[in-house]
Amino acid sequence: MPRHSIAVVFAGSGGSGAMSAGAVFLRAAARAGYFGMMTQLFGAQVRGGESAALVQIGVEPIEAQPDRFDAFVALDWDKVEQFAAEIPLDETSLIFADPSAGAVPAGIAKSKGRVVALTMSDPGESKIDRALHGKRVNMFAAGCLAALCGLPADDIGGAVESIFGEKGGDVVGANRARALAGVQAAPALALDLKLAPPTHDRRWLISGNQAVALGALRGGVRFVGCYPITPATDLVEWLAPHLLKLGGRLVLGEDELASVNLALGASYGGVPAMTVTSGPGFSLMVESLGLAVAAEIPLVVIDVMRAGPSTGIASKTEQSDVNLAIYGAHGDAPRVVLAPLSVGDCAGTAEYAVYVAEALQVPVIVLSDQMLGQATAVIDPVSDRPPPQSRKTNGAAAGQPFKRYATGGDAVTPMPLPGTPGREWVAEGLTHNEAGLPASGAAMHAAQIHKRARKIREFDAGDRWGEVTGEGDTAILAFGSTVGPAREAARRLAEAGRNVRVIALRLLAPLPAKQLAQALTGVRRVVVIEQNDTGQLYRHLLGHKAVPVDAESVARPGPLPFRPSEIVNYVA
Amino acid sequence: MTDTLTAAAPPSCVYDAKDFSSGAHPVWCPGCGDFGVLAALERALAKYGRPPHEVVLVSGIGCSSRLPGYMSTYGFHGVHGRALAAGSGLKLARPDLEVIVVGGDGDGYSIGGNHFIHACRRNPDMLYVVMDNRVYGMTKGQPSPTTEPDWDSDIAPGGIGLRPFNPLAVAIASGANYVARGFSGDPSGLADLIVDGLKWPGFAFIEVLSPCVTFRPEQREWKKMVRPSAMSVEQDRAAATALVLADDGFSLGVLYRGDRASIAPALIPEITTGDVEREFAP
Repeated sequence: MPRHSIAVVFAGSGGSGAMSAGAVFLRAAARAGYFGMMTQLFGAQVRGGESAALVQIGVEPIEAQPDRFDAFVALDWDKVEQFAAEIPLDETSLIFADPSAGAVPAGIAKSKGRVVALTMSDPGESKIDRALHGKRVNMFAAGCLAALCGLPADDIGGAVESIFGEKGGDVVGANRARALAGVQAAPALALDLKLAPPTHDRRWLISGNQAVALGALRGGVRFVGCYPITPATDLVEWLAPHLLKLGGRLVLGEDELASVNLALGASYGGVPAMTVTSGPGFSLMVESLGLAVAAEIPLVVIDVMRAGPSTGIASKTEQSDVNLAIYGAHGDAPRVVLAPLSVGDCAGTAEYAVYVAEALQVPVIVLSDQMLGQATAVIDPVSDRPPPQSRKTNGAAAGQPFKRYATGGDAVTPMPLPGTPGREWVAEGLTHNEAGLPASGAAMHAAQIHKRARKIREFDAGDRWGEVTGEGDTAILAFGSTVGPAREAARRLAEAGRNVRVIALRLLAPLPAKQLAQALTGVRRVVVIEQNDTGQLYRHLLGHKAVPVDAESVARPGPLPFRPSEIVNYVA
Repeated sequence: MTDTLTAAAPPSCVYDAKDFSSGAHPVWCPGCGDFGVLAALERALAKYGRPPHEVVLVSGIGCSSRLPGYMSTYGFHGVHGRALAAGSGLKLARPDLEVIVVGGDGDGYSIGGNHFIHACRRNPDMLYVVMDNRVYGMTKGQPSPTTEPDWDSDIAPGGIGLRPFNPLAVAIASGANYVARGFSGDPSGLADLIVDGLKWPGFAFIEVLSPCVTFRPEQREWKKMVRPSAMSVEQDRAAATALVLADDGFSLGVLYRGDRASIAPALIPEITTGDVEREFAP
């Protein structure tokens, strides 16, 4: 019987090409009309460390890592065992390995999966060619596995061309030849891994980080200040050339203190601006988050979360910056915090972040995470878009003294663009009066604090606050990369006759009290799931009485992703 | 956005120094050197001829960083030490505006020291004026990076014992295009330097000796110590650096003028976001 999905791991030492194998496999599936998702595992080394591409493809959208993998492809066995805990295998898993690579290490063999001997290297290849280009066992493996899943050879060859096209004809030709050799070797293995027929709609192959960047560009961001930091660097590396072609500018700051201020300066000038970072950099930016709040300057901050505190684990995921995003700053500094619900939703959420920042003149933080950011997924094109951003720049009749920070009326007050005659104002981080001049009286301090609080309080995200899927009197409340596993868990529970609803929260702050109350109608049990040790979201929800006092917290640190079975076991 | 993003070309009307004053009364102590710098800036901008709404004063934190509020231009009073980053972002996003960053020695050379180096490296077409009084005045008298090693204070009895920072040498070494020293007691000469710096392409840095009469009353004597620079160095970085390092810190005037290109501004759009989306087809 054809499968609805299959989960494959390509693993090997640095330089073995595990990521390229995964990329070819995923792209071939996308070209053939399947959905899919690939995540990446890296050792700590910059070069030469072990790496693994975790790929799942199937006939339906894939948003969670699988509980187990159907196939493990060892490009070599050097250090690969270190990943054993992060790659669940069992006795029904197939372990593909070249006999010349040696025995299967104990950490992998203990799964009792069936070992499939597969000679992946090219016996006819010259020593020089092998030294120059490696053994290209990765392309052979990708071609072979793709063929076993029933992917057409044309799509496999097309994927190789698409990925290696920029490297020139020789490289493309040699890689395609090895991939097609893998295709030809498939039938002799006599394995049935065929997928059910796909649908053939137009799809996007996109990573979460790319989707955030696309969303920001769609939202109108034309200035980015940033500093390199894993796992956010690939986002800005993708963004930089595109931003330039779109007439924008990316400036590499000397540190995160500069990056956020570069963005604030540009935003003050009227150009929607963003900075992109991860936890350690975000910690440095907190200083100027307060400035953005006090001076009321629109700003989008992307935090691709990684394991913390301090330097933590740079290349691995965690959802532990919730407190920092919602509360980080001295003084009362209300802001908006959003989290994407999936790889595809990274685009919609980032675009919405630009809209909200510009509309409210506040910092908006997007909490992505390494799992979402560095996952590559095949998705339906993101077509649902927020309204175009527009900043309130006009106001006050000519001749009237202009009051940038007027209180009493609309909490969002006009911020004329520099260059506008007769509306000169100073963006002020000190407590200020309505005209923007420094003031230290109690009444004006309270008035300005209340003005800024009111902007946030009166903000209504409407339908964009989050999404509810499923029914039932048990609700799983999740955000970011835990939404996918939670939904998959709910799907399995529903199949087993147990209805569970999943409340996926996009708006973490301010909490959408009205919408959450509506979503929780009829719910008797609430389970809040998050990937940090202290239950940061759970405490936030409890503190705002947004969930009942007997709500349960499932909080554990990263970097292991939540697997659907883990959630099923807890809820059931 | 409803307003135009491009400021109009300079009109032909003539401005007076008082057109650049907001009328707000400065918090500075009577006799503070920063009054002279404010007067020089107002004079210089009137002479330069761009209208107040096309000028943005950007600052950090400290006595001198209060200056944007005293001018009739646009302003950005941000956090301590980061004014150059904010000013650079503004200038790169809005090259049509005249961006002037102002601040003190603590703001620019200590907490903002790294930004100072990298602003010089980027060399954006803007002006940076530092009012150097060799003391943290707002916090009532602690030694700053430019304070003499033996200056006695509560926090560093007997002196801080450190070699003073040389901002001019650092600016030249880091890539600033225009480096000068002025004196707040000579607003007219300082105004000339400011106009000169505004006109010079790239990053123009003017270090202004601006006495703190409250915590460094001995700086009243600076008026007797300053003199026009005997140096006539232009475009020779090595020679300018050598002279600046050998100088006693009281030579006034232009010390270096380079011709290095600024960081490139944004380009005309060649593609649309629709083109970007098409790249995601598998």
